[in-house]
Amino acid sequence: MNYRIGIDAGGTFTDFVALAEDHSLLVFKTPSDRDNPVSVLLDGLAGLARKAGLEFPDFIRRCTVLVHGSTVALNTLIQRNGARTGLLVTAGHEDSLELRLGHKEDGHRWDFRYPPAEMIVPAHRRLGVRERIIAGGKVHIPLDEAQLDEQLDKLAQAEMEALAISCVWSVANDVHERKILEKARSRLPGCYVTASVDVLPRIGEYTRTSTTAANAYVGPVLDRYLSTIESALAEQGFNGRLYIMQSNGGVATPEVVRQRPVAVLNSGPAAGPVAALWYGRQLGFENVISIDMGGTSFDVSLVRNGLPDVIDQADIARIRVGLPMVNVTSIGAGGGSIARLDELKILQVGPDSAEADPGPACYMRGGTRPTVTDALVTAGYFPDTALLGGRMKIDKNPARQVIQDNIADPAGIDVYRAAHGIIEVTAKNMVDGIRIASIERGYDPRDYLLVAGGGAGPAFAAMLAKELGIQKVLIPSTAGALCAMGEATANLRYDAIRACPVRLGDLSTDVANNLLDQMEEEGRSALGVGAGDHARVERSAEMKYIDQIHYCDVQVPPGTMDTDKLARLRENFHRRHEELYTYSEPDNEPEIVSLRTSTVVDTHAPTDAGSGATIPEISIKPQGIRQVIMPDSQEIRATPVYRNIGRETEDRFKSVPFSIQGPAIIEEETTTIFIPAGDSIRYDPVGFYLLEVRYEG
Amino acid sequence: MPTGIDPITLSVVQGALQATQRAMTTTMEKTGRSSVYAIARDYSNALFDWDARMIIQGEDIPTHLGSMVLATKAVARFFAGEINPGDIYLHNDPTYDGSHLPDMCMYKPLFFEDELVFWVVSKGHMVDVGGPVPGSYNPDAKEIFAEGLRVPPIRLVDRGEMRHDVLNMILTNFRSRKFQSGDMNAQLGAITLGEQRLTALLERYGKAVIKDCVEQLLDAAEAHMRARIRTLPDGVYHSSVVAEDTGHGRGHQTLEAEIKVVEDELEIRLSSPPQLDFFTNSYRSNTLSGVYAGLLMWAQVQPPFNEGLYRPVKVDFGPKGTILNAEEPAPHVNCTGGPQETICDLVRTGLNRIDPTHAVAGWNHTWAFNITGKRPDNGEPYLDLLISSLIGGAGAVNNLADGWHAIGAQAGLGGAQIGDTELVELLAPIIVTRLELAMDSAMPGEWRGGCGLVTEIEPIDHEMTVIAWGEGAHHPPPSTGEARNHPQMFDTKVARGWHLRNGEILHEVDHNQVLTIGSGERYRSQTSGGGAAGDPFSRPPEEVQDDVLNRKVSLKGAELEYGVKLHPETLEIDVVGTTALRRAKDR
Repeated sequence: MNYRIGIDAGGTFTDFVALAEDHSLLVFKTPSDRDNPVSVLLDGLAGLARKAGLEFPDFIRRCTVLVHGSTVALNTLIQRNGARTGLLVTAGHEDSLELRLGHKEDGHRWDFRYPPAEMIVPAHRRLGVRERIIAGGKVHIPLDEAQLDEQLDKLAQAEMEALAISCVWSVANDVHERKILEKARSRLPGCYVTASVDVLPRIGEYTRTSTTAANAYVGPVLDRYLSTIESALAEQGFNGRLYIMQSNGGVATPEVVRQRPVAVLNSGPAAGPVAALWYGRQLGFENVISIDMGGTSFDVSLVRNGLPDVIDQADIARIRVGLPMVNVTSIGAGGGSIARLDELKILQVGPDSAEADPGPACYMRGGTRPTVTDALVTAGYFPDTALLGGRMKIDKNPARQVIQDNIADPAGIDVYRAAHGIIEVTAKNMVDGIRIASIERGYDPRDYLLVAGGGAGPAFAAMLAKELGIQKVLIPSTAGALCAMGEATANLRYDAIRACPVRLGDLSTDVANNLLDQMEEEGRSALGVGAGDHARVERSAEMKYIDQIHYCDVQVPPGTMDTDKLARLRENFHRRHEELYTYSEPDNEPEIVSLRTSTVVDTHAPTDAGSGATIPEISIKPQGIRQVIMPDSQEIRATPVYRNIGRETEDRFKSVPFSIQGPAIIEEETTTIFIPAGDSIRYDPVGFYLLEVRYEG
Repeated sequence: MPTGIDPITLSVVQGALQATQRAMTTTMEKTGRSSVYAIARDYSNALFDWDARMIIQGEDIPTHLGSMVLATKAVARFFAGEINPGDIYLHNDPTYDGSHLPDMCMYKPLFFEDELVFWVVSKGHMVDVGGPVPGSYNPDAKEIFAEGLRVPPIRLVDRGEMRHDVLNMILTNFRSRKFQSGDMNAQLGAITLGEQRLTALLERYGKAVIKDCVEQLLDAAEAHMRARIRTLPDGVYHSSVVAEDTGHGRGHQTLEAEIKVVEDELEIRLSSPPQLDFFTNSYRSNTLSGVYAGLLMWAQVQPPFNEGLYRPVKVDFGPKGTILNAEEPAPHVNCTGGPQETICDLVRTGLNRIDPTHAVAGWNHTWAFNITGKRPDNGEPYLDLLISSLIGGAGAVNNLADGWHAIGAQAGLGGAQIGDTELVELLAPIIVTRLELAMDSAMPGEWRGGCGLVTEIEPIDHEMTVIAWGEGAHHPPPSTGEARNHPQMFDTKVARGWHLRNGEILHEVDHNQVLTIGSGERYRSQTSGGGAAGDPFSRPPEEVQDDVLNRKVSLKGAELEYGVKLHPETLEIDVVGTTALRRAKDR
């Protein structure tokens, strides 16, 4: 049997998933080690081999595809320990990177102690080149090559490891930037040189410059990391294909990633929605919301019509990055998030976190402040003696004590009410996060399947669904390793963009078809798609009303463009504007800013739909009873607990469905599921639970 | 005093109110037409309760917020007895507590179960509101009547029906109508969104619970401010600042404040000279914005930010007809910049002197220019406020931090945003030839200010009109403690403007005038840096060296202002030279 491997390197744990041809799933978790990522990787693969019952060399030979989600690039940016980077820009604009559009991030208007962002390229390494292109692409000042040579000499003397090049309006005419690139490559051998027209050919000098600078800054570091991994895997006998997870939710070969390393910055959480979609499709859902609750954060992403919701820019570690990335709304609401009463006695949860060390009080590692996990233990949602299927011992008493001391007593309320309050406020923060990812993006969460991941996400999922009007919640039985599962199931993806500033009424179908074809070709070529291979191409237009400045993404109807399809594009835009902003202006003309394509190639055969439907259910019995506070009524109720179901039913577990009525708790190895009274949950042999939320009347 | 709400429900409701305000702001930014909306973010949204008390003041533009506190009450009073569900009111006039004429404000009373529960309010700076000068900053106006269209509180939407004739009358008075029309749509969109979200909140928790929460949030903010004031010793303190002569020829005007601290309350009594026939007067609501901004810069309290903060603070604006309590027909359009910022300085420096530990020094004052002309290709008119021209340095925080570069002006405290160079060049037929931090512009101190910004532009193949306005040419923003600049470096610290031809300076330009820049000529403007804190001779030489390396401070500035001598080529610290400079206190 062959395997697809997903490896997700997180801050605390690295998760490994092996997805076999028959859809059976192996999961292994091991602590991350920033200094020795390769040994962690090999340890994890060895762990999977043991679970598969194979000798390591045999197992690695059966790994046909290995997808790696890495935080190396992101950590480099966060810790500001990237390459020694220079920046060449149009003279007069050397400070663009530092000005950051003259804006202080929201949330700090009255906070005068919030520090400025630390520069990845300080002013003394930002040099101007005398040249100027103006809007429309005309050369206003020709490139001063003699002056350019002087600047390159300075950079050579200062021994740059990387160089970014970004000229004003290079997006309209790249002749100067290409010339600078050519000269820089020959003058600075061994230096990682990258130009803005190759990284982000989009109007917007600041975003393009910043993205290119980030590309240069992380490029050499990621390159070294990839080389290390490639040789380590080769040494072990791996001869399958290695792919790297990107921020856009798709994978790419190491060669493509070396050109645009900035495209993998946010790849970690981008895998969550990929896994969510894989599971959703087992039930025929193309619209899913994925939630993943880790130790410090709660990540929300939305998938619509089978495509993750993608945004075109974000600030990562306070650096503006303008490449398409899966829109991940991250809220400081993880298991380690700390609850406190502020000085006005208002209960606040997060964003401070107890992290892995000391962790929640119930971990007994010296944690003295109440966390969400402590609340879950005290309220009875979580087991009170051990987590991770018994491998990790915990104690309920310190959890209860810190809530008593820090919340219940000062607020003058009962400890159970306090624990429940922490859960309620956390759930509120989570609902806000889901609203930002759905309602504020113009999507109604009631039309979506909620897929819950993480160790604690499934304990909250039913509450969140009810608050948002969602009917169904899917919980993978290996919910704790959602992202690694996403990596194991991700497809190849390449995004292309072309500026196309034109009023919709003036857009000729020839121009549109020509640009779309060009981008399709670019995608096929980057992904190595042959003539006979099947590639899916999703196309969109960035559109706005004339004189608006910001745009929204609108789907371009499939197929060759004609007048009828242009009319449909127009309707799509008006509707999208109304979804996002409550109104549209049907009498006003829309215009296009850019056209985009995403080319996707499946890296695995499509899966069958869940087959459990025809198999008769078995009935199972609870292993215990626990006192749990109910979410709405706040009454304490004796609640059946089902644990180690896999062991209980042994082999039958993989193939036999069963149902449970709430209130109930299911404890899986990597997660805990809470089913409120009135709701029911059904196990599907594909490897997930489906919870149905009951609404009154 | 309500007591029935637990800390959990309160937390949930507070979060929902904040999220509502934030979503309104996003809508305005993403849908706005003018660069002032969509790039500069010169607008503010706020939520008010049934008594027109501000319950969420948001993170938008500080200069709007104090005036909204008074204006919503004025509008509620005006329509008292005839406020209906589905109404939206519109207003800009400062005699009804508007801030200044370009700030058009919409007010929607929100009814739930037949009771007025909230006011959803949205204010935005229109790029033009009529009058003789494009952009409505008219330095020649002797009266408010010559500044633009005055709109007292009017009914724009009557029980759900837009009054198209009224809207048309207003838009007919504005230049570049298509922008104003789009911007007003954006504002209406924000209000609709706010209404939807608040209605959902009321449905979820019920009116009684929400009203109790609102009372508690107001009380909470009040408690924050009282606790902060209680840290000050009781007494009567005085503060005075100079509002500079920005072209009216009447000389500098001294503004004064008496600050009385009694336990946990403040009384602030302002006094100022008689109002001028120049557009730097401040009607009382704008004055209140300045007072509140100064108060919050000093207090540095935690959220929630709402009107409860201001309960322990009494403000006396001084006699009617004075600069800080202007009355009709005083011209005033410049008031949201320099005057508001000067009032902020007046209150903040007064409080800082009582309590200097973490005093925030002054940020740059608004000094900016609008451009207008006709596109050379099709003759269509354009009109833009170049936001980069008002962005300058932030003040240092005493004993804590340097000021941010290029993040002011003080009126916005970082809320505004520069247009991307390529976007700016798409909107107007100009070339941005320079956009860079101004060397030596930051006030020197142990904690230095942030640098100001140089903006230089050139019209492409046509003649461009520049309307330059603002203040800061005569004195840099106030510093605190021992901070001081060297007299020889004074010119680098203040706001300036130049007219260039063939790359050479033709002449220096006083602001608050209209000038013509020909094809191939350039206009260059420079904002001031931020104020500093502490003795610059106490700044570690390594930090001065780093500033020189990164073009923030010149070698000359390092020597004169910081007493730090560096090797001119290697920039290594000359320890002996530095010690000598720093010992010689005759700087």
